[in-house]
Amino acid sequence: MFKSRKLTFSATLVASVAAGVISSAAYAQDYNIGAPASAQEIAGWDIDIRPDGMGLPVGSGNALDGEETYEVFCASCHGVFGEGEGRWPVLTGGEGTLSDDRPVKTVGSYWPYASTLFDYIRRAMPFTAPLSLDDQQVYDITAYVLYMNDIIEDDFELSHENLAQIKMPNEDGFYIDDRPDVSNPRCMVDCADPETMMLQSSLAGVTPIGHFVEGADAPAASHSDQHDLEASKEAERKASITGVEIVAPVAKETSAMSAAAIAGEATYQAACGVCHTNGLAGAPKVSDANAWSERLKQGTDLLITHALEGYSGSAGYMPAKGGRADLSDEAVTNAVLFMVESQQ
Amino acid sequence: MTTPSTQELLQTMQGASEHLSVNDRREFLRRGMSYVAGAAAVGGTTIASAASLTSNLPPNEPQWGRQLGTGVVENPYGMPSRHEAQVVRRTVPWLTAESISSISMSPLQDLKGIITPNGLVFERYHAGVPDINPDEHRLMIHGLVDNPLIFTMEDLMRFPSVSQIKFIECPANGGMEWRGPQMEALQFTHGMLSCCEWTGVPLKVLLDAAGVQTEGKWVLAEGADGAHMSRSIPIEKVLDDTLVVYAQNGEMLRPEQGYPLRLLNPGWEGNTSIKWLRRIEVGDQPWHHREETSKYTDLMADGRARRFTFVQECNSVITSPCPENPILRKGFIEVEGLAWTGRGTIKGVDVSFDGGVSWRPAKLKGLVLDKALTRFSFTTQWQGEPWLIQSRAYDDTGYVQPTLAQLREQRGVNTIYHKNSIHTWQVAPTGEVKNVQIT
Repeated sequence: MFKSRKLTFSATLVASVAAGVISSAAYAQDYNIGAPASAQEIAGWDIDIRPDGMGLPVGSGNALDGEETYEVFCASCHGVFGEGEGRWPVLTGGEGTLSDDRPVKTVGSYWPYASTLFDYIRRAMPFTAPLSLDDQQVYDITAYVLYMNDIIEDDFELSHENLAQIKMPNEDGFYIDDRPDVSNPRCMVDCADPETMMLQSSLAGVTPIGHFVEGADAPAASHSDQHDLEASKEAERKASITGVEIVAPVAKETSAMSAAAIAGEATYQAACGVCHTNGLAGAPKVSDANAWSERLKQGTDLLITHALEGYSGSAGYMPAKGGRADLSDEAVTNAVLFMVESQQ
Repeated sequence: MTTPSTQELLQTMQGASEHLSVNDRREFLRRGMSYVAGAAAVGGTTIASAASLTSNLPPNEPQWGRQLGTGVVENPYGMPSRHEAQVVRRTVPWLTAESISSISMSPLQDLKGIITPNGLVFERYHAGVPDINPDEHRLMIHGLVDNPLIFTMEDLMRFPSVSQIKFIECPANGGMEWRGPQMEALQFTHGMLSCCEWTGVPLKVLLDAAGVQTEGKWVLAEGADGAHMSRSIPIEKVLDDTLVVYAQNGEMLRPEQGYPLRLLNPGWEGNTSIKWLRRIEVGDQPWHHREETSKYTDLMADGRARRFTFVQECNSVITSPCPENPILRKGFIEVEGLAWTGRGTIKGVDVSFDGGVSWRPAKLKGLVLDKALTRFSFTTQWQGEPWLIQSRAYDDTGYVQPTLAQLREQRGVNTIYHKNSIHTWQVAPTGEVKNVQIT
């Protein structure tokens, strides 16, 4: 009797709390959070392309038109022939090397689908200004890279209607993960024969290519130090061939610069140096006085305008603020002054 | 018990003249003070004599006990002691063309427990770290769903939250060493690995709100960064344990880790946990984008390649001793390390001191959690004998961490990714530790 009264009491309590304070379990799961995504909102962000052609914008392009576009936007990193500058990705060649000791994985030798090329160029290239190319430029560049890999002819009109039909050489070279692929018994004693064990110490210069590329034998602590190290080694190598004496680059004394230029050095290091230290995208290197002397004849004001608003010329391509829209006009101006005064 | 032959091998090692590498020298310089002090204690010599070394030591009252320290909110967001300045992320610059699309490694040699502090979680960017205003960040869900939705950050944080401790590892962790040892420090051999408590919402909850149609078999996750990094994820994983995460270790995500929103695929290769997440599209097949074809596919010796190699298989490494943590004193030593598996939970770890001839079980200590770093320990004595020290983890699926020889036999040496083999440190009679491989 007592037991049943207690149960009744509990049930009553739960009922009254549920009615007055908390929702029922089913209703609690009905979050009703978030807003409907409109077709227009989706269209702006839905940039992905699939191997079956889903997502391709209406349009077309060809390698003949793509050559010039490629040279403006792509060649400074990927090389005029897709051979790759420095450690930037190689796009061409490598056919038949995938089972070699040193495979070369390129668009032609490795990539399974042409759609991936269009998708990636559109979403992420050029490196310093992603999503800045229009569909026509993406079709042209895609066609040119396929042409350089002997996959299409130079006059082939690549379009949303035929891109999915292009058969890439290595399409059948992939299979779904089949791991676990090894079985190691949990042995506790006499698990290896000491007589046959070989001890291997550090090897130099054997890093796999692709994600990792063979590098200098004495890695520096930062990327800029590493660039300097490799530049000096390259200078030594050339000097050993030509006999020309190496002239050490003289670092500009910042004490001789204007206050604005000194203030601009930090912005240069953080934002501009990616291209202007190594000459990417045709950017004049700060260390290349010849490249700057012609530009300086046009006046500093024009250089600042080009830096702020963007510029595309025969030598290369400067996105507005170098693609760093978050930088203030003053920060960009100071960075230009730092580069200009580094020449004086 | 070691066989005479193993003893011979170890004696050969002992006899070999050990020249310190650049990294070792730097490390020994850094540790010079304690190393000398240790030598003095062991050998009874009096090398340390300067008054400055002893002025803060008993019986003297140290300087900091005779003055006031700094007050509250001197550092509104606190920082580690200035004496810990060497505990930082580091990169290997020759791996990548520049620092914007690159990787840095966590200092595993200095970490305690299983949680990686937020400022030390390894970094991997494909277009640098975007500076995202959370008020203007949106997550869009569309594709094969009944109700395409857009969420604000405020929306996402209204959902019931879950917090889980999970590791994240880059599949290229250790990838420089398929052909032989060449990284001279633990931070570089295994540091593309971190473990945090992550807080967010199961993606399944958000997809249920949108109503996935029956043909929906894959989702595409995409970032808001300049790379618009994208990966295809099978719906089975999403419905199992994929999270949409906005916090790590008690605070909002760090910009480096995807602020304000990232995906987390527990146990899977790190690049699938898309950072700065802005879009989820449901489809009936995978997208085969650049980061799942050109990159993050595993090239086998026969020239064919595995794709969608998602799982990070069972792995472990000894973190002390290691090249950065040489043995400084004879006597008692706790051998410690980390183990992890993307398939579930670490069941146990064995350690070997003779290069894998014989093994002894280590102890798991602290939390042992699903798809989280797990710390192991083996206490013993060291009297200056040379060691070839290894750890071998096994998980609750029965999978035992393999040898490098086994992986090479199956895969060749050009796969780059998913090298989870047993790792060997060579401990010299001086206490120095070097990275070696046994073949």
